[in-house]
Amino acid sequence: MSNGVHEIEDAALLFVFGYNGADSHPIVARRIVRAKQKGAKIICCDPRRIETARIADMHLQLRNGSNLALVNSLAHVIIEEGLTDDKFIEEHSTGFEEFKELVKNYSPEAVAERTQISPQEIRQAARMYATSGRSMILYGMGVCQFAQAVNVVKGLANLAIMTGNFGRWGVGIGPVRGQNNVQGACDMGALPNAYPGYQNVTVPEIQQKFEKAWGVPLSNKVGIPLTQVPHYVLHEPEEKKIRAYYIFGEDPAQSDPDLHEVREALSKIELVIMQDIYMNKTGQFADVLLPSTGWNEHDGVFSCCDRGFQRIRKLVNPPADADVLTDWDIICRISTAMGYPMKYDNTEQIWNEVISLCPSFIGATYEKLEKYVNIQWPCRSTDMSDKGTSFLHKDGKFANPDGKARFSSIDWQPPVELENNEYPLILSTCREVGHYSVRTMSGNCRLLRNLEDEPGWVQMNPELCEELGVKHGELVKVLSKRGSCIARCLPTDRVKKQAVYMTYQWWIGACNELTNAVLDPISNTPEYKYCACRVDKIEDQQWAEKYVLDEYAKIRENMGISEQPKGGKAA
Amino acid sequence: MNSFVQGDPLLCIGCRTCMIACVVAHEGKRIFEIDPDGYDFHPKLKVVKTWLVSVPVQCKHCENPACQAVCQVGAISRIDGAVIVDQTKCIGCKSCVDACPFGAVRMAPLGFETNPDGSRRAVANKCDLCTGLDGGPACKRVCPTNALRLVERENIDEILTYKRAESLKTAAATISPSITV
Repeated sequence: MSNGVHEIEDAALLFVFGYNGADSHPIVARRIVRAKQKGAKIICCDPRRIETARIADMHLQLRNGSNLALVNSLAHVIIEEGLTDDKFIEEHSTGFEEFKELVKNYSPEAVAERTQISPQEIRQAARMYATSGRSMILYGMGVCQFAQAVNVVKGLANLAIMTGNFGRWGVGIGPVRGQNNVQGACDMGALPNAYPGYQNVTVPEIQQKFEKAWGVPLSNKVGIPLTQVPHYVLHEPEEKKIRAYYIFGEDPAQSDPDLHEVREALSKIELVIMQDIYMNKTGQFADVLLPSTGWNEHDGVFSCCDRGFQRIRKLVNPPADADVLTDWDIICRISTAMGYPMKYDNTEQIWNEVISLCPSFIGATYEKLEKYVNIQWPCRSTDMSDKGTSFLHKDGKFANPDGKARFSSIDWQPPVELENNEYPLILSTCREVGHYSVRTMSGNCRLLRNLEDEPGWVQMNPELCEELGVKHGELVKVLSKRGSCIARCLPTDRVKKQAVYMTYQWWIGACNELTNAVLDPISNTPEYKYCACRVDKIEDQQWAEKYVLDEYAKIRENMGISEQPKGGKAA
Repeated sequence: MNSFVQGDPLLCIGCRTCMIACVVAHEGKRIFEIDPDGYDFHPKLKVVKTWLVSVPVQCKHCENPACQAVCQVGAISRIDGAVIVDQTKCIGCKSCVDACPFGAVRMAPLGFETNPDGSRRAVANKCDLCTGLDGGPACKRVCPTNALRLVERENIDEILTYKRAESLKTAAATISPSITV
């Protein structure tokens, strides 16, 4: 995020695009509610009537997959009505003329049908965003999980640049990250192209710096993104194939698109190592399981989505008979066994090494994390007076060589797999509040499991339910050309008739059996938010109920979980 | 006058933490230690989500409760500002479920007690304002957005005072926009 999460409350206008805070991050949603209480206007762009839409001043219930058409059209109106911040554009950006040409084609009238938003609403939203004086954009997976994702982010950034909504308190653009500490994973270099601190692996000086620090030669080649692993296992020539896969804190056999392909890849890899806190779907393919401690059983540092480092502290000891180690201890032992001795006494030693190699983190010492609780990078000085950076781009200075922001002129492109006669509906995957991610953690929390359990729900518009003759709680079959699964029908007028929604954590109602593994070319994030699907009524409900119970029992047995499941009942 | 817990749909984010807190409050901490199948999950309130509103629905603790009036065995009574079901007295006739205009009463098993035929014994289950439990209504305590509050007699007066002032503003604006009240 360019700004701090705490600044959300002080925005005059929140432009919430494809971000469902209440279900994904209740704690951030609380900030949105507070902003509203403090008088902020809210514009919510989402195909569903999410909680934010309810309290918003405007809800643009756009058609799934029309993101950039709407964003470019908002820019069109801002230019047409002379609402741009010309001084900011002039002094702090490049590429505006080209962008102006591009958005000429995106009048509200031209995109009304595609976006299913009336031209009046688009105009009104553009005016509100451009004139509030302090507008902040929050976006989430509704932007990122499309084959055209990064370009929509750039489109949103265009809006912020052209209205001067950067570099001040309570403005900017905020990707509210999908998962807890996913920012931390990126900050720590768990990316194919970067060392910790976003230092590029292809830059020789950086390579040398890390080689010197670690005393080993390092590769200067960009690695393989997670989502391309199946491809590298199944379709690359022998010499380029992936042979071993070390997975930790991730459950690709549940969370990745087109699970059939994922399973095929996991079966064909020579060696799968899984390091996690509980058994999960991927664990069933593992040759080696490394049980590690849970979030409350170890120390560490998390990064919040707004670049804030925070310490986490061990609350409880793991059970004496658990035979688990912390993640970092396991990594040290593996590394040592492979011939590179690695030893730390505690997380502070590790952290000190991290910050000593990352200029933008160097000031975030344990001492400061202790004293100030939250330090947002960049924090470039170890002096106690440097408390980090709440918002980026102060005084209109951007992280390009010329210090200027760049307008990106990009056309909208449709989603890859469109509805057709056989699969007439859109399937979009989403989250629900009680379960976190693939529920490796929350599925093992008894009360959260009480709240929602297998096989999960498929959210459908009541009219669609009526047409298909299915009722609340009835089991239905959801199919795409890649696979199918069984879930319970949840009629709700919060979704439009053209699309159905499923959360991705269920083992039986596993929507990723259906999703399309097409990726955004830049981020390599799959198009989870759009594929063609169909919902079929199941005549024999008794059979289906039994199927759910049997499958659940079977999966648990496969995972070595003895305790009997209680789920399968309609809530 | 009876108190009641009221939810504010403008603050509620539909997270259902209140439902979990309700079960934990009534089961006690043992819920985290016993076998997961050793308790039932029957919150005494339910978060309802519609086009306009997300908010928990629970007993209003009516002054002249329809549930109490229809109960044939005297299982429902007013005790210390709350309408309470004595589940051990309840015969499970469901008249209260039927009578409640708010859908605030639902049937739930009574522990693991069984009927003579071996089926679970179902009784009326509804909000009891956490009477007898420390700290007052648990739902209110855990709400991350403070969307729930316990409305007592004095709060009703506050609400009314506020509403009267607001309605005067509207009335004044209708007569002449220049008047500020």
